[in-house]
This record gives sequence, structure tokens and C-alpha cells, in this order.
Amino acid sequence: MSDSNYSVRHILIGVWTAAVLMFVFLPSATILIASMTASRYFQFPITAFGFDWWSKTFNSLEVRSLAYTSLSIAVVVTLIAVVLGFFGALAFARYDWRGRKLYQKFILLPIFFPQSVLGLALLLWFNALGFTLSWKTAVLAHLVWIAPVVTLVMAIQVYSFDPSLEEAATDLGASRWQTFREVTLPVLMPGIFSGSLFAFLLSWGNFPLSLFTTGADNTLPKYLYAKMVAGYTPGVPVLGTISTAAAAIVLFGGYLAMLLLTRNRKAAL
Amino acid sequence: MSGDSSFLAQPGRRAAIPIMVLLLLGFVAPLLAVVGFSFMPPRTFGLWHEPSLENYERIFSDNTYVSLLWSLGLASLTVVLLALICYPVAYGLVRVFGRWSTALTLLFTIPLIVSENIRLYGWVLFFIKGGVLPGTLKALFGVEMGDFLFTPAAVLFGMVYVYLPFMLFPMTLGIAMVPNQMREAARDLGASRWQVFREVELPLSTPGLMIGSLLTFVLAVGAIAEAKVLGGQRIIPITHDIEIAFTYAQNWPLGAALAVLLMLVVSVLVLTVLKRFDLDQILGKR
Amino acid sequence: MSKPILQLKNVRKAFGTLAAVDDVNLSIGEGEFFTIVGPSGSGKTTLIRMLAGMEKPTSGDILLHDKRINDTPANERPTCMVFQSLALFPHRTVGQNIEFALKIRNVDPAVREKRARELMQQLHLPADYYSKNVTLCSGGERQRVALARALAFDPQILFFDEPLSAIDYKLRKTLEKELKDIHRETGKTFVYITHSLEEAMVMSDRIGVMRRGKLIQVGSPNEIYSTPRSRFVSEFMGDVNVIPVEANGAGSVRSQSLGASFKVLANSVEAKAQCLVVRPEFLRFLDTPADAQNSLRGILYNEYALGSRIQYQVRVGEKVFLVEKLRQQPFKGKLDDEVLIGWDPENAILVADE
Repeated sequence: MSDSNYSVRHILIGVWTAAVLMFVFLPSATILIASMTASRYFQFPITAFGFDWWSKTFNSLEVRSLAYTSLSIAVVVTLIAVVLGFFGALAFARYDWRGRKLYQKFILLPIFFPQSVLGLALLLWFNALGFTLSWKTAVLAHLVWIAPVVTLVMAIQVYSFDPSLEEAATDLGASRWQTFREVTLPVLMPGIFSGSLFAFLLSWGNFPLSLFTTGADNTLPKYLYAKMVAGYTPGVPVLGTISTAAAAIVLFGGYLAMLLLTRNRKAAL
Repeated sequence: MSGDSSFLAQPGRRAAIPIMVLLLLGFVAPLLAVVGFSFMPPRTFGLWHEPSLENYERIFSDNTYVSLLWSLGLASLTVVLLALICYPVAYGLVRVFGRWSTALTLLFTIPLIVSENIRLYGWVLFFIKGGVLPGTLKALFGVEMGDFLFTPAAVLFGMVYVYLPFMLFPMTLGIAMVPNQMREAARDLGASRWQVFREVELPLSTPGLMIGSLLTFVLAVGAIAEAKVLGGQRIIPITHDIEIAFTYAQNWPLGAALAVLLMLVVSVLVLTVLKRFDLDQILGKR
Repeated sequence: MSKPILQLKNVRKAFGTLAAVDDVNLSIGEGEFFTIVGPSGSGKTTLIRMLAGMEKPTSGDILLHDKRINDTPANERPTCMVFQSLALFPHRTVGQNIEFALKIRNVDPAVREKRARELMQQLHLPADYYSKNVTLCSGGERQRVALARALAFDPQILFFDEPLSAIDYKLRKTLEKELKDIHRETGKTFVYITHSLEEAMVMSDRIGVMRRGKLIQVGSPNEIYSTPRSRFVSEFMGDVNVIPVEANGAGSVRSQSLGASFKVLANSVEAKAQCLVVRPEFLRFLDTPADAQNSLRGILYNEYALGSRIQYQVRVGEKVFLVEKLRQQPFKGKLDDEVLIGWDPENAILVADE
């Protein structure tokens, strides 16, 4: 096969990838465009741009309370999931113990499980236990799915952790707690960081679990869904854009913070 | 070493306890409850009735199982389409794009942080009458576009869209697991590019392909938002039936029986596939 | 040298501005066991990858039987490489690995199996390994499978990219000899790269030493060992005593740092910067200065047992000398004694200081 054939193949792959990327971003772009119309109904090409709906949405008390609920759930889920996931990941990848292989597969099951069915099963379960559905039950529901994901994300980091570091610290006179604080925790920090980022974003955007387990409390994705089904209002694309932008800010902020953190650590050395 | 008194002596076991407790109470117990409810008489709300198979009989006599077939069929199609769409991209990310790969991977990750129903709604605005695509076609060519929204094809389209990253990333990992020297060795032994692909690259990247397929299938079988947002109730996936039974119809035992059927399909698949993999090897290989 | 099978003419490979291989000229004879040695980063891997067809030269020509093969891809060259990682296909059995190239060439399965079994026997692999998963083989067995796989389609040249580097010392020594036996049995051209000159010495007909992308000396193992052309080549060969010197009239050089002059063979003195190289085994302990033509007085600082030989560290001022003698030779010196060491001009070589 000749060289030109080779590069033609590469060009085709590049073009295909660009097309898929466009496919991936088209709906978000559409939402963004739709959010900037002045008219009550979406009509493309847009004739009049306007940001009235943006100010309306920002000033809406209902939206604020929704955002507050979503944020509370995401923050609480993140905090708990990171602790569970950290120890879960140590059990997953760091220690060798009887039953570990079984445990590893068990942890994966909730990830490989339809979320809507999990949501409904939890709805039934909470009802059977006599719980009143609220944002607190939603936290539990999110955790069942997110804690295993965080465990897995952290486990990848833990795999590259050299256990002899802990042994060296102990050998140098550190107690078990000191070893944990001075060696294990800082070395695994990047994993903890990306794990918490995952937890926050997955909880913030979750729809199928929230749909069935929040009860009277409403989250942003759930509210948006109700509005979508009820008929078009320009508030939907606006709120969709805001919610997406918030997630993007967290993601890039987190990424930057991580970059700075590793740079500082390198500079300190 | 593992006598009763020293059950917790192994640090791994201690570390596993918190998440195990969560999953036992929040995953295993609810699923057991669902299984239990599925054997209760219809429209009852407790677990203390005489068990019966009435719900399962109803599913098959009432044609409710059709929705299960819809879900399985759509999920299978989603997996096949995604495998075809993602392979060239995954291959490119590992072998072609070089230093651009990280940035491209990040770009593919971003949609994951956007709630799926928002993204699906983007497609609604894209395809709806007067939306981005029909509007553009009309303005440029004066062509009226036929209805695409609210058809089975639209649901499939939405599923392919939403679950793309779940196929792409495991696949990328799978392809990255094939050492470059393996490919070179095959080539050096006389294999053409196609033979290298068929004999070495594809079989060695199957773990990634399998995990990606499994993940997309399971997620797609449980898909609910796609049919709601893009399908306009034209297609009733099993998840929708389950939801109706649990909510409006207030028939928990029927919903539970449907959920059990779905869980059976999913768990048989997941357990057979997962059994074949050593997770230490897949995740720990760096 | 026999008729050349592989010729390199001004071969150069640049990655960006860095020339990994720089203007290499070389001719390898048919049936030869040629080894390229060099430290890591010297360009030897890039060179062999170009020979095997996995990289293309930036400029220059590679000729196989006088035919230019620069643009012939690896799968169309009648050559084969044994990789450093061996690159055995983990999803295939031992037999399937060995037969791979034949399968690619649509050889009849029965013929394939016969060939594979022959090779397994020739390489001392047990016959029942034929259907064994290749990942279950030991290190040495894997080496043999990789070699059998490369030999299966009867390539004209075999390339080896440091296949023995990850193997423990004892097994490596065995496999080195086995490889040389296979070379003799098959009569094929072997081109081998390694960072260990010791390994190269055992096996090769000729050795080429690479440094910073350039082939700096080519010769038989004996030539490389006894007449290195530069300080680099002589030091690469193991422990040597190197004394920077300058010309000091006919048949004599002078070391500034030692403040001494040494007699050398008259024809070897050149005007440019040079080093006097004396191998430890050619240095010996003297009773009186008259016992050798060159001598130095120093302190016996330490001794190292090297099996059949013993090596001594002697300090002459700041300068460290290594002196070696056979274990059975008598020697009464003790640590911290003052000793006299010396050598004769025919046992020292003058090399370029580079």
C-alpha cells in the first residue's frame, strides 16, 4: 500500500471525527441559539435576537429555588460519594483480600443497570419503608449510582499507587494515621479531585433518578422536562443553557485548579 | 486468617464496608423488594399477600411484552450503530490525532455534563417545523422537510446520540490496549493493513468493544427520556410501561413484574460479559 | 566479506531538527551476523526500524540485493524482526503465533502445521506446546516462539531489536549461544542491536558501534576490542584506563596531570588530542621500575573479586587506575600499600579523544 493511500485513510478518519463532533455539539448549539430569540416562539432562521428571557429567568424565584435544590443534592452527594468512593477504591485496587474479585464486579452492577428502573425500584422501596420523598431521598438514589462511578474513577488512580510508599513511610517511623495523612492521601489527591468532579457533574445533570425520587422537591433537569412536555416556552432553552454553562464552569474551573495544584506541587519540589 | 473474629482484620474488607452497606441498602434491597412485589396480586401495596404469578401472566396475555421487545430491539440497533460510528473515531483518538487527542477527548466528554433531556430537547428544536434544519432547508432551497420527530427513527437517533460517549471511551481504551509493536510485528510478518486489523487489532481490542457495547445496551434498554422527548409517545419502551404502572396506574405488582423481566435480561448479559474480564488487568494496565 | 545483501548509503533520519540517524554508510554481507551496539539514544533502534521497513529514511538509500527498498513497506520485505517486547499475539496459541506469517500468505493449514512443528523441534520447544496459550510460556520459551515465528516464512534477513535485554543473566548467556547456533544452522543474515558490547562480542561476525546517530566504527569483535579508534569505543568495551596525553617527540607521549611521559609504538602518535588506553589486564604489578617500559607509583586502595580474576584499584595522585590479574597469580600487596604498576608500549593504544 502506498503513502497516499495511508494519508487518505487518515484524512477520512479526521473528517469522520469532525462530523461526529459536530453531531455531538449540534443540539447544545441549537439550544444556545434558541435561548437568544426575542419572540415567544422559536423560528429559524432567527429574525429578532433578544435577551429578555435571560433576565426573566435569572430573576425568577422559582428558578433560584430549583437551582438551590439541585446544588444541595449535588454537594451532599459529592461529599458522601467521595468518602465512600475513596475507601471503596482502596478495597478495589489497593488491598488484596479474599472476595475482592467478587466485590469488584458487585461495584460495577449499579453502573451497568438501567437508571430509570433503579429510580423506580427506589421509589417503591422508599414507599415501602414509609419515607416521604424529598431531596434527601434523591441524594440516596444518586449515591447508589454515583458512588460506584466515583469508586471506579478513583480506583484507576489507586492502581498506579505504589504500596511500598506506605511501607517506606511506616519504616521511617510514621504511625498508621500519619502514613495516611502524609503519604496515601496526598498521592491519591488527583484521583479524589477528579472523582469529586465526576460526582458533582453527574448529580447536577441527572434526570432518570431524580424523576422518581425527589417527590415534591424539584431539580433543574426534572423541571425542564416538565416544561418541555407542557409546550414550548423560551425559558427552557435559556435555563438549559444556564445549567450547561454552570456545569462547564465547574468542569473547567476544576481542570484549572488541578493544573495549578500539580504545578505548585512541582514548583515546591 | 479469615476466622470469624478476624473477619475485619484485612484492611481491604474494612475499606469495602461503607460502600457495601450503601449498595446493600440502596441497590440490593430495593431490587429484592421489586422481585417480591412482582409476585403480589395486582393493585396491592404490601408484601404480605399470597404470592401469585398473575402479573407475569398478564404481561404475556396483554401484549405488554411488546414494549420489552421494542426496548431490546432499539437497544440492539443502538449498539450496532454506535459500534460503527465510534470505531473510526476511537481509532483516530489512539493512533492518528497524536497530541490533539487529549483536547478532542475533552470535547467528546463535555456533552456528558449536560443533562440528557436538555440535549435531546436541542434535537427537538433542531428538527421541529420551523426549527434549525427545516428552517434552513426552507430558507435556502425552498424545500419542505417531512416529519422526522416523534417517529421510532427519532427515538433511535436520540439513543445513538445520548449514549455515544459510553461506546466511544471504552472502545478507545480497548484500542489503546493493543501495543504498537503487536501491529508492527504483524505487518512485518507480511500482513496487509486489513489483515493487521482483522487478525490482531480487532481481537485484541475486543475487551473495550465488549464493555462499550454492554454499557450502551444496558443504558439504552433503560432509556426513558429519548422516547418521552423525541418519540412523542409514539413508541412505548418498557421503562415507560413500568413508570405508568408505578405512578398513574398505581399497580405496583405489575410494574415490578415488568421491571423484573428487564432486570433478568440485563443481569444475564452483564454477568456473562463481566465474568470474562479481569478488572485488575483492564483498569490497572497503564 | 561475502557478497553484500544489505547496503546503506548516506542514510539519515531526522525527527524535527534532531537527526536520530545521521549519514550512515554500511554494507552487510550475506549470511553475516552483524551487530549494532550503542548506548540508549544512539539511534540504533531507529536504524533497525528503517531496515525492517517501519520507518522511512529522511534521505539516503537502503538497498537489498542492490535494489532500493526505501519505500517498500514492512509487509512486502523479505525480512523479519524480533521485537524487544517480542510482540507475541496474546490471543493466539504457540502454534498459531508461529504460523501467522504463513496464514497471511494463504499457506495450506497442514503445511503450516508441519513447518511450525519443525521449527519448534529445532528451537527445543516441547511438541505439546503447539496448542498452548502463548501467554502461559516462560521468558525463555517466549523468546524461542518469537524466533520461530520470525523464521517461519523463511525471510532472507532477521532483525533483532534487543530481544534479550529483559532476561536474567544466566538465561541470557544460554540464549546468546543458542542464537548463534541457529544462525549457523540456518545460514541467514542476522542483524542484531544491543546496548551490551559484551553480548555483541559473543555472537557477532562484525560489530558496528553507534554514537549520536553516527556509525563511528565497524569491525570484527577482535578489532573493536583491541584497536578501538576513539575513547568512546574503548570505554564502551568495559573497564579501561584512559590517560589524556599529548605528543612528546617520536615514540613518546606526555600526561600533564600525571606529570609523566610514556613510551608508545612509534607509528601511533598523532598531533590532535589523544588518549592513551590501557586495559586493566595489560597493567601489572612490578617489583622494580625496570620490569616494564612504562611505570607509575601509587597506593593500593581496594580490590574487587571478579570470579576467575581479581581487579585492584590503584590511586596515582588523584587518578584511579584499574589493574587486573588472574586469581591464581601470586600477589602479596595489601590495601594501603604503596605499589608499582606498569605496562609495555605494545599493550597500550592511542585513540582520538572523542
